[in-house]
Amino acid sequence: MVQELEQRCAPFVGEVAEPPRVARYDVDAAMIRNWAEAHDDSNPVYTDPEAARATGRRDVVGPPAMISTWVMAGYRRHREIHRLRAEGVSEDFAYSRLLAVLDEAGFTSVVATNVEQDYARELHPGDRVTAHFTIEDVSPVKRTALGDGVFITLHKRYVDQHGGPLAEERFRLLRFDPDTKEEGR
Amino acid sequence: MTFPDCGVGTTLPALDLPLDRTLIVATAIASQDFEDVHHDPGKAAERGTPDIFMSINSTNGFVDRYVTDWTGPHARIARVALRLGVPNFPGDTMRLSGEVTGVTGDSVSVRVTGRNSRGVHVTADVVVVVPAEGGDR
Repeated sequence: MVQELEQRCAPFVGEVAEPPRVARYDVDAAMIRNWAEAHDDSNPVYTDPEAARATGRRDVVGPPAMISTWVMAGYRRHREIHRLRAEGVSEDFAYSRLLAVLDEAGFTSVVATNVEQDYARELHPGDRVTAHFTIEDVSPVKRTALGDGVFITLHKRYVDQHGGPLAEERFRLLRFDPDTKEEGR
Repeated sequence: MTFPDCGVGTTLPALDLPLDRTLIVATAIASQDFEDVHHDPGKAAERGTPDIFMSINSTNGFVDRYVTDWTGPHARIARVALRLGVPNFPGDTMRLSGEVTGVTGDSVSVRVTGRNSRGVHVTADVVVVVPAEGGDR
């Protein structure tokens, strides 16, 4: 059963996860401000153009950790994805098909465990981000403190509206079955 | 302290962050993360955790803030590699601490650790570039 699952996951390694994800809107001063306020981050280069220019920047910049925020799918799409999952429909992207295989095995819960980001440059309002996602690795089935699951490593390459590099990321998450948490197998 | 007057072993001032439910939800939504485990206690329980917990992107944002609070606004974060340990739940206080692990030219490596009462929430290796005052960025 475990072996069969691992065999079904193996072909996804190296596949493009989904079509390039184009930001729904430009990098935006209001989104940056909301983030800075939520994190109670008073670095003026995020919210004050004058202060940003005083440091040699041409305008405010986005916090580095916001890079993934720019290409988030948004609330409406979030609901749609979860509706499709609940209906057992998997979209024709490698990542959706991989998650469907894992859902079938009961690995329905998710927790992120690692992120590595290398930033090529800072982002300014008006930049438009696109992310290219690749499935870099799917681990064998592991027993974890949360339950049985597999670790998925996604590689994300972020580029701007001219195709210029913004950031490279490795993101590792655990898809697990919470019902196996306390089984003394 | 004037940056970059630091060397390997220089420690950053600790920062205690009290984390309540509103903060955990507000940071998740600021990053457009609508996963239920970051705002819905009932769904979080179904998924095997006792409460909602902080998202990895929010943790990353607090690491940014902690490092640039120390360096000042001239600095640019060039790289982060972080690993999560125990979750941050509402009611926790996360204590951030940091230590310089390397200095190369205008680039400084910092190891940041965030702990709550149950253990280490995050370990992050951050590379921050701080151009000399008045220098080109």
